Amino acid sequence: MASRKEQKEQARAARLAQEQDAASKAQRTRRFQMFGGATVIAVIVIVVAVVLSSSGGGGPKGAHPGLETGTKEHQLVSSVDTLLNKIPQSGNMLGSSTAKVTMQYFGDLECPYCQAFTLDVFPSFVQQEVRTGNVKVEYRSMCTATCDGKMTHAAEDAVFNSQQIAAYAAGKQNKFWQYAELFYHQQKTEGTGYPTDGFLTGIAKQIPGLNVQTWQTDRKDPSLADEVTADLAYSTQANLPGTPSLIMAGPKGTELVNNGDLVTSESQLTTAVKAVS
Amino acid sequence: MSSVAGPAQRATRSFAGVDQLMVWILIFTTIGFLDAAYLTYVHYYGLGALLCLGAHSGHSSCVTVQSSPWAKIDGVPVALLGLIGYVGLFVSYFVTARLNGELGRAMGFCIALIGFGFSAYLTYRELFSIHAICEWCVGSAVCMTFLVVLTAIRFLRGEPVTN
Repeated sequence: MASRKEQKEQARAARLAQEQDAASKAQRTRRFQMFGGATVIAVIVIVVAVVLSSSGGGGPKGAHPGLETGTKEHQLVSSVDTLLNKIPQSGNMLGSSTAKVTMQYFGDLECPYCQAFTLDVFPSFVQQEVRTGNVKVEYRSMCTATCDGKMTHAAEDAVFNSQQIAAYAAGKQNKFWQYAELFYHQQKTEGTGYPTDGFLTGIAKQIPGLNVQTWQTDRKDPSLADEVTADLAYSTQANLPGTPSLIMAGPKGTELVNNGDLVTSESQLTTAVKAVS
Repeated sequence: MSSVAGPAQRATRSFAGVDQLMVWILIFTTIGFLDAAYLTYVHYYGLGALLCLGAHSGHSSCVTVQSSPWAKIDGVPVALLGLIGYVGLFVSYFVTARLNGELGRAMGFCIALIGFGFSAYLTYRELFSIHAICEWCVGSAVCMTFLVVLTAIRFLRGEPVTN
C-alpha cells in the first residue's frame, strides 16, 4: 500500500498533468482562433486588392481594360462612323481612287502628335477635301513614339509591328481608318507597350461590321509585315523629321506639308492641296 | 541534470532537424523576394530588360503582362507590392524569433495567404484576360503557394519540438 507521502505526490502529479493539459488545450484553442483571424484578415485584403485591380482595369466582362465601354464607347464608335461614312476605303487608302491629289500620312499609332492631328485637324479636312473627292489619304507607318527608347529595340519593333499590322489587317476589310481612328481616340502613354493583343483585339471588336476572326487571320499575313517594313525604309530614306509627316502629291508636284512641325489648322493642308493641284 | 536546453543547444537542434520547415520557408521567401525585386527593377528601369522565354503576338509575353492594366493597383505596380510582401515575411520571421513566436507565425501565414490569393487572381487574369503568361510572375505565384502551405503548417504546429 502506498504511503501517505507517495499518495500526496501522485495527487500532485495528477493535478499538474491536468493543469498542463488544460493549458495546452487553451493554447491550441487560442492558436486556432488566431489562425481563423489571420485567414479572415487575409481574405478581406485579397478581396479589396481584387476589387481595386478590377476597377482599375475597368470595363465590363469581355471588354479590354483601357478601352471605352458602354455609352462612351457607343458615342465614340458613332462619331468615327459618322466621319468615315460612305467615304470609299481600300486598304490604307481613304477617299476616291480618282482623286487628283494624294496625301501620304506617315504616322505611329502611339504618337500623341498624330493623335492631336487626327482628332483636331483631320476630321474637317476629311469633310472638305476627302469626302468631296478632291483628295485621297494614304496612311503609312513610321516608328517614332513607340521607338522612344523606353524598351529594347527588339521589343519596340515587335510592339510597333504588332499595332501597325493590326490596323493594316483591318484595311483588308476596308476598315483601316475605323481602326486607326479608334486607336488614336483611345491612345495611352507612348512606349509603355500597352497595345497588347487584348487591346488590339478590343479595338477590332469595336468596329461595326469587322469580321474579327478574319482580322485575326489577316494579322498573320506576311505581306502586311512587309508593308510596314517598306514604309519604315521609305521614311528613313526620305529622312522624314517625325510623325505625323504629311506629303501632298498632285499634278503640279509633291510637297512636304510640315517639316517636323505639328499641323494645327486645316488651312495648312488646303494650301498644300492648292499648291499641288 | 537539467532537461532545459541552453541557447546554443537549441540553435543546434533547430538547425539539425526541427526547423527543416523553416529552412524551406526561408528558401522560398528568398527566391520570391529576388523574383519580385527583379520585376520591380524592370518596371522602373524599362520593360525591355525582361528576360522572358514566352512570345506573344510578336513580342515578349512578360512585356504584355507587365504593361497590362492589371500590373498596377491604383498606380502602384503589383511587382512592388509583391516585394513589400516578401519583406513582410522576413519581418514576421524576425518577430517570431525575437519578439513573439505566436504573433510572428500568424503574421507570416497571413502575409503568405494574401500573396497566394492575389497571385491566384493575377494568374487567372494572365490566362483569361491578358492571354499571356509571364514566367517571373508564375515563379512568384509558385513561391507563394509553397509558402502558404509551409507557414500554415508552421503556425498550427506551434513551437518547434526540440529533442
